Amino acid sequence: MPRTGEIAFDPRLRGLTGLAVVGFLLSLVTFGIYRFWYMTDLRRFFWSRTVVDGSPAEYTGTGRELFLGFLVALALLIVIYVGLFGLAITVPALAPYSAILSFVLLFLVGQFAIYRGRRYRAMRTLWRGIRLGQDGSGLVYAARAALWWTLTLATLGLAYPFMRASLERYRIGHTRVGTSRMASDARGRSLVGPWLLFYAVAFGPVLAVLLALLAANDFTLPTDLILPKPGGKAGDLILNPAYRGSRVATLAIALGVTAGCCLPLALLLVPLYRAREAKVFMNAASLNAASLGPVRLVSTLRARQFYWPYLVYALSLLGFVAVVGLIALLAGLAARAAGGNGFAWAAALGGGLLYLGGALAFAVLHVRIVQARLWAAVATTTDIADADGLNRILAATHGPGSGLNEGLADALDVGGALQIGF
Amino acid sequence: MPSSTASGRWFDGRSAAPHDVTLRLGDRLEITGPGVHRDWNLDDLRAREAQAPLLRLGIAGDPGQVEVVDATFAAILAIRCPDLRKRADTAGGTWRLVVGSLAAGVAILLAVALGLPVAAGLLAPLVPDGVEARLGAAVEGQVLDLMGDPPACADPAGRAVLDRLVARLVSGRGLPSDLAVTVRRHNTANALTLPGARVVVLSELIAKARSADEFAGVLAHELGHVALRDPTRALIQASGTSFLLSLVLGDLTGSTVIVALGQAALSAGYSRDAERAADAYSVATMQAAGGDAAALATMLERIAKDDAETDPDFLRTHPFTRERAATIRAQAGAAASGRRILSEAEWAQLRRICPGAPDKPAPKLRPGRGRRV
Ligand SMILES: [Zn+2]
Repeated sequence: MPRTGEIAFDPRLRGLTGLAVVGFLLSLVTFGIYRFWYMTDLRRFFWSRTVVDGSPAEYTGTGRELFLGFLVALALLIVIYVGLFGLAITVPALAPYSAILSFVLLFLVGQFAIYRGRRYRAMRTLWRGIRLGQDGSGLVYAARAALWWTLTLATLGLAYPFMRASLERYRIGHTRVGTSRMASDARGRSLVGPWLLFYAVAFGPVLAVLLALLAANDFTLPTDLILPKPGGKAGDLILNPAYRGSRVATLAIALGVTAGCCLPLALLLVPLYRAREAKVFMNAASLNAASLGPVRLVSTLRARQFYWPYLVYALSLLGFVAVVGLIALLAGLAARAAGGNGFAWAAALGGGLLYLGGALAFAVLHVRIVQARLWAAVATTTDIADADGLNRILAATHGPGSGLNEGLADALDVGGALQIGF
Repeated sequence: MPSSTASGRWFDGRSAAPHDVTLRLGDRLEITGPGVHRDWNLDDLRAREAQAPLLRLGIAGDPGQVEVVDATFAAILAIRCPDLRKRADTAGGTWRLVVGSLAAGVAILLAVALGLPVAAGLLAPLVPDGVEARLGAAVEGQVLDLMGDPPACADPAGRAVLDRLVARLVSGRGLPSDLAVTVRRHNTANALTLPGARVVVLSELIAKARSADEFAGVLAHELGHVALRDPTRALIQASGTSFLLSLVLGDLTGSTVIVALGQAALSAGYSRDAERAADAYSVATMQAAGGDAAALATMLERIAKDDAETDPDFLRTHPFTRERAATIRAQAGAAASGRRILSEAEWAQLRRICPGAPDKPAPKLRPGRGRRV
């Protein structure tokens, strides 16, 4: 019977709040430059508290490396922007397309940056003194991502889970732990179910009301239902008065209301999909340790473990606003009792506290509640089947690699933050 | 010194297999087990980050490390090794970092305030004419967009008078041959000079002028901006400013550089020196063309007075208007007031260049900061 190892994450998070407060405030006074060191501290914290089969992971990256990478990336971006600008100026025929061109170019650079950023994090990760690594090509990854996104757009999003699985297979398949290579047999079709839920919730009721509307109008589209508002600005629309009181008009209003409700409702499904995806990807991942059969990961992640952090976060923020309101109310009453303008005092104090404390509270609570709990949810629900296989992992001879990779992701603001399951 | 012992797991750094070892803490730390023998100096010993009670120990230059779960041992070790938690990467560096980044922020602000105007002045004449013309076309499109696409005014008779007036003002002045003066219907008394020798006159300026010389004085002032390449200089300066400030403020994609071109052209006024130089250019041009060079002063004062009703910044900008008017009158001399650049009949035709319905309300440009006259 193979021994099952577990991945543990200490839920008490002692010291994290202080780390986040100091990091946020220092980032503020240093025009954001400190964020590279803050991010490094956060990673050291999360890595070192993630204990795989008894041994914690170790993050050896430094803020200086991230900052230097960022400067290099900035120089690269300036070259890209100046090049695009010069192209638009020298080839006027291209000028109308320069926005699309820069979007496509920056998308490719962004995907490249995501892959190289992951490579940096892998190479700065040690476990039992064994360094992780990532090979493969950022350019290939960017090209694959571009093709997949094109396909996803062309299929109105239906290809999305297949894209996610394909890119996951590429990322995991090029991840190495010492001399051992990881593998993933993630399949997009295992995610089609939760993905189609989005369509069912977002478009199902809208489609039903639309069909009822068409049925009420003898299956012809009432093209004159919406008219431009007479005397109004361009874009102002009214319901055609000829339809007033009719079944068609009622259904048209219902259609608008349904569309307005269902699309936000579909957003509530995002954690559900993410949880399912994380579980499928974890279960698909394995490590081929020294030809003695793969070490597999087993995940028992539940969707509610992804909803809970967001719920607690929302309630914390509501509580923060309520406390600030209460303080403002008390101050206002006190000022009124002393003969001053109670309302002005309350508004000034409440507004000031909300503004100053709000940004700090949002940032710290997000790290403390959302990031930490999502991380903990993924880590603690994952087990290692045949953990003894881990002991056969051997260190590779490759070095820690250059730190210039991840700055690009930060400069483009993609994937620069902590990533669950790195 | 009493010794303390604990058992731990040794990892040699070559494989992930654990080896059971015994740690003995005396004057040095001894780690012994099957095939493992280490004798580490306590001063070199470093604890890598881990959640207590787990302790992870190593020294620089040794790929091996040992994991111990023993709170008592950890407490004793912490007393014996003062540098146990010292980090190589941030030791004492945080304050240096704060001071350094504040200095960098101040340096960027200084570069914006002092360096950029100089750099823009040096770069503007280097921009090739073809590039500047295309830049002008792009900027004009954006500026007109921001102003709500005011319609062009092209009454043939008025246009002919304007063309003759422009020809008289530019004769022998060496302005770019692609100079284009257009009139657009807008209820702001203003004129904009854009890169690539493009001058856009807004109809309200003609409506506010009480004589052809007042209007011609303003037009000559704009031609002065063209001659001195002020629009290109201002554009370089504004783009540089938005880029450098975006570095400081954290919008790090640099996208502001391109997006803000039109906005920058609208909102960034010229420096006072540039306005004075354009005024002097206007006086010289009007004198050469045989007009009333002092009329510009009257026009500036009238626009400033109208702005005062809507612009709370008036008190700040007014002294400069008064100073400009006085300088213009002194340069123009007493003889100026008798001259007329156009006949009354021509001026009447020019005033009808925007025919048709009265001005519809359009978004009003904020006076003062955006003032290009
Ligand atoms: Zn001017």
